[in-house]
Amino acid sequence: MSEIIAAIDETGANTLLADAIQTVGTLSKSGSGNLGPFGASYTVHGSFTSGAVDLIPPDTIRIDHLHFAWHADLSFSIDLNDFLPHFCLPQVCIDIPCVGEVCTPEICIDWPTIPIPTVSFGDFVEATADFGLDVALTSGNWKVQIVVKNVSQLQFGPGTAAILGIIAAAITPLLLAVPFIGPFLAIAVDAIIAAIGIAGLTGFLGPIISPFISGLKVPVYNQPKHFELLPAAGANDPAVFIELDTVQARIEGSDEDELVLDIDISA
Amino acid sequence: MSLTQGDEVFAGVHESALNDMLRAFFNARPRYRVYGSPGFVPATSVTATQMAALPLPGGASVDWAIGFEIPEIDLFDQSKPLPPQLSLAPGQFSLKTKIQLCLNCGSRKDAGNDQPGQEQGRIGRLGRALCSELGVFAIGHLESWHNGNGAGEVWLRVDQVELVDITPDSLESLLECLIRLVLDTALSQVRIPLQTLRAGAFHLIVTRGPEIADDRVKAFGNV
Repeated sequence: MSEIIAAIDETGANTLLADAIQTVGTLSKSGSGNLGPFGASYTVHGSFTSGAVDLIPPDTIRIDHLHFAWHADLSFSIDLNDFLPHFCLPQVCIDIPCVGEVCTPEICIDWPTIPIPTVSFGDFVEATADFGLDVALTSGNWKVQIVVKNVSQLQFGPGTAAILGIIAAAITPLLLAVPFIGPFLAIAVDAIIAAIGIAGLTGFLGPIISPFISGLKVPVYNQPKHFELLPAAGANDPAVFIELDTVQARIEGSDEDELVLDIDISA
Repeated sequence: MSLTQGDEVFAGVHESALNDMLRAFFNARPRYRVYGSPGFVPATSVTATQMAALPLPGGASVDWAIGFEIPEIDLFDQSKPLPPQLSLAPGQFSLKTKIQLCLNCGSRKDAGNDQPGQEQGRIGRLGRALCSELGVFAIGHLESWHNGNGAGEVWLRVDQVELVDITPDSLESLLECLIRLVLDTALSQVRIPLQTLRAGAFHLIVTRGPEIADDRVKAFGNV
């Protein structure tokens, strides 16, 4: 048996991990990806909230309804030629007495590419994640973290579908400024939103948000190997230290499942 | 049976870890096990604590010193032998140490006749020091305080001391009383924070314990 044993049951682990996950703070990531047919650049940031913790011997911590609230700033451009019909005003010729035949040139409408500067939106995803235990002595500190080893399919929140409406609302005023688009505005917006679609949106967001979850590491123990037993208390009472020689972590199953830390020390 | 036993958090410190902590404490701060009057301890330092000389009738005084080896603790259940006069009950600890008592018996120091620097030295190094070393066994219990924020401390209290093979019995009892008072007072100053007892693992607001059982100091509580 280890010299120092610290154990926490599932009820305590729920509290412990709720606090520990908060310490992870806000995570962010920037990059580019395909939003339906559009190349889009993005900045996503978000933070986690713990769900229901289940300790599974010998080494798994499952968090159900692990919640990631995210916010995205998205910018992309739309080539309207991909969505709107090309048409030309045909050449018109008129015979004018004493002048002869006068023809107008054929005028063809070439739709512009519209930059969409920033569309901001946010929602949440939830997943069930299985974490393993990772113990390491790093830079003189013993660290025990729980590290994701499996994640269920991401469940996007109900607000995700509404994001298409946000995109539509963002692009409409920009399209209104395009000459000759009047009769085609509704067609253009519908076509763009249809081109993105829910599948395109989740296909865009999924690969961006998944790494936040699959890379999640939650600290549950972090103490220096050269551990201060007592702080200094004056010139004649220097600080007292012990050495944390080994730290191990496990999930122990009995009448109650517990997260257990085993620590051996020396003077 | 789970370690937490119906509470949320458990911390258990084996007697070997407790002994490591005591060794660390007394090695860093030996003055908590070495005490003496100015003749033996010229000034309080990391290595020794100065105390007043023993007053004698007429205003004189005698230098003295007392020190003990770092005690070895055995938490119930008993795993170290004890003299037959002592038995380890649930919730108790035993300790084994050696204690050194010294008196400077060279000459009387009369009041107003002290000469600074005279008779200075450490235990056993005074020319006229008379010292004796005694093997000591003792029994005691744990005391503690803790609050709702998770702060708290534990320390050892010595209840009973046994010296072996000292006669007459009255002298043995006298010395046992003296040594019990010294050890109890000295060890009561070794306050180990609850947070360090669990090496910083998991926040623990104590609802039960700290208590001694199964060779460990155990504490139970909530996050």
